[in-house]
Amino acid sequence: MTAGAPPPVLEAVDVGYGYSGPTPVQALDGLSLEVKDGEFVALLGPVGSGKTTLLRIFAGFLRPARGRVRCSGASVDGPGWQRGYVLQEEAVFPWMTVRGNLEFGLLAKGMGPDERRKVSDELLELIGLTAFADAHPKELSTGMSKMVEVARVLATDPSILLLDEPFGALDAHTRQRMQDALARLWAQRRKTVLFVTHDAEEALYLADRVVVLSPRPGRVKARFTVDLPRPRSFESRFSPEFLALKRQVWEATGLDAG
Amino acid sequence: MISLLALIGVYTLAARLLSRPDILPPTEEIGRAFGALLGRGVQLGGGGEGGEHAHHQHHSASQQMDTLLQEGVTLQGALAITTGRVLFGLGVGLPLGILLGLLMGASRRADDYLHPIYTVARSVPPLAFITYIMLWLGHSEAHRLIPIVYAVAVTMVIPTYHGARDVAGKYVEAARALGARGPLLLFQILLPAAGPAMLGGLRYALAIAWMTAVGAEMLMAENGMGNLLVGGGMWSSRFQTRSDPAVIIVGILALAAVGWAMDAGAKVLGARLTRWARR
Amino acid sequence: MMTWTKARRAVIALVALTAVYVLAAEIGHGRLPERLWLGAHYVDNVKLLPTWRQLTEEGAFLIESNILVDSVVVSTRRVTLGLLLGSVAGILLGLLTGAASRLEALADPWVAFFRFTPALALLPLFVVWFGYGESSKILLIAANVAVVTFLGAHQGVRGVSRVYLDAAASLGAEGWLRFRKVVLPAAFPSIFSSLRVAAGLAWVTIVVAELVNAQMPSLGYLLALSGAYPRTPTMMIALATIGALVLVFDLLALLLYAWGTRWMERAA
Repeated sequence: MTAGAPPPVLEAVDVGYGYSGPTPVQALDGLSLEVKDGEFVALLGPVGSGKTTLLRIFAGFLRPARGRVRCSGASVDGPGWQRGYVLQEEAVFPWMTVRGNLEFGLLAKGMGPDERRKVSDELLELIGLTAFADAHPKELSTGMSKMVEVARVLATDPSILLLDEPFGALDAHTRQRMQDALARLWAQRRKTVLFVTHDAEEALYLADRVVVLSPRPGRVKARFTVDLPRPRSFESRFSPEFLALKRQVWEATGLDAG
Repeated sequence: MISLLALIGVYTLAARLLSRPDILPPTEEIGRAFGALLGRGVQLGGGGEGGEHAHHQHHSASQQMDTLLQEGVTLQGALAITTGRVLFGLGVGLPLGILLGLLMGASRRADDYLHPIYTVARSVPPLAFITYIMLWLGHSEAHRLIPIVYAVAVTMVIPTYHGARDVAGKYVEAARALGARGPLLLFQILLPAAGPAMLGGLRYALAIAWMTAVGAEMLMAENGMGNLLVGGGMWSSRFQTRSDPAVIIVGILALAAVGWAMDAGAKVLGARLTRWARR
Repeated sequence: MMTWTKARRAVIALVALTAVYVLAAEIGHGRLPERLWLGAHYVDNVKLLPTWRQLTEEGAFLIESNILVDSVVVSTRRVTLGLLLGSVAGILLGLLTGAASRLEALADPWVAFFRFTPALALLPLFVVWFGYGESSKILLIAANVAVVTFLGAHQGVRGVSRVYLDAAASLGAEGWLRFRKVVLPAAFPSIFSSLRVAAGLAWVTIVVAELVNAQMPSLGYLLALSGAYPRTPTMMIALATIGALVLVFDLLALLLYAWGTRWMERAA
């Protein structure tokens, strides 16, 4: 890094992490990555490339076996609301109502009921689930409950978002809608986003930069800067620049099947 | 319901066919024993029971029944006593087991240290301890209650543990990533998430509590259902009285009935508490 | 699974546990009462917390005189027979009633009855029916085991995911083939986990059965005898032996479970 420049919000230097067990797996090996303030970076890679592991290290659930990880210059000590993390698995709280889920982070912060309600009302409208405010997650489809999870993490207004394939279970239209919503939010509130996906097109649609990981062990294989103009829309997916990038990314990921 | 009647029917038939009242007492006799045990309480082998006594001379009349009646043992009385022990065992054992299970499930470190100790602790059946405990506590109520508490606690640990570790794991993570800590995390996240597993464990612990209570009573008590089943009377004269299968069957049926009722209650409670659960 | 950290911590925990006991025994030596009232009479020379040396001395005696080994053999034999008998009966019945709903209605009341009687309550009844010998004990174990495994097998068959059944149907499999290759394996987790529970239950049952009707040689007898006299070192050794056997059976049941479910649990 050049001296004098602010430290990257998320920084991983030569990170290594392995899982022991019947077949030990080296999930990450010598991985270095930087995300600057306000950037939207997509982590792209096939199954087994350690994307989730890296995200969890940033979120504070794992400690790197080798190398170091920093968040805004300081080392990561554990999970916290400042690094909003959405898991890959379904983790909406089934015993709370939708509104209860959305307000949970605010509850943890000690916010009062009226304030919480204001925030949850906004979020309900954002994800279009106002009618389901007092329903339990069991009445929602998988896609809808994922949306609740994303909105839940936005409630506490963290400056960093760590998202693990959040839109994987959604149908094409809903996915488009949620991607646009995410992009809008990011533009409004200037959050730093690290977004994991295995879908190259989604990565290109959303991100400023795409980092491609190789599988087992996870290392950075390629980096792409996505210069496409914002705000992007459905039309952008068919622009020649987009398609050219898509081809490049495909080549970078595809031929090296794990 | 029909099947229940069929069951009774089959039994009556079998009893009549076998024609060995000392092994398979006829249904009427079971009914009579039931009535006798219900509350003709303190009658020193006299009154109506005396008549029955004389009537069934040929299968060496109910010493067991006599002893019981002599001591003023009634079915509901014995049942109440055993139920009391069961409830005590649950009341103390459940929180202990849950605490341990949550601790082990929530913290890898605690799990690593405590699990081996737990494995050792659960390997010995609690009722086996009873002779050892007697050396410390003599023939006291505590001496009978400790195995029950122990059995319940030990049984409750594993389901709670699985609930906390396997089920609640991802919810706890999501909650921590939202900034939750401490009591909020415990009561709003961990407990509800582990709840369904714990409720399943509760039903199992219920069965174990009954079994241990009856067992403890059979071995070491002078009252309660276990005592009733093995012939009542003082510890010293136990197993000397000739057993009356009718009494035993009445006792077993009573236990089954109460056990079923408690289990049904626990099931209903569980369903209400977990209405939010999917499918 | 097992890592160095985990193993190390386990060792520390167990060593600590032993140390606490040894410490307690040393402190108690000479301070704990040695004359106890046992309800009917006094006994002398009771060691409430036998020291390590006392334990090893008595343990050596028990082993040399074959008492321990014989008891272990007898009790283990009973448990094994009861387990085999009970699980075969229970599993078969469970599979049958799970697969054929008409049979289920027939068996339901019987199962409900046995399910809610505390396992040990049947002991006096079995003694009346089968006398005080081997059979009553083995049959008691078998009865309890049968109930547990019945439920496991029954639930296992009933609970086979619709998905698998539909897949089988669309592949043209039905009847016996479908049962053998689809339904049965899918029921394995439930069956094998109930076996594990049954193994533990079998030991609980035999201990009490042997305590109630203590006959030489058996572990229960050892326990009862050492309680009557009492000789605490023998008692503790008997307890430890029972505990060890329970763990062995539990481990076997666990291995069986792992074998039966080896196709499950895809790694992330």
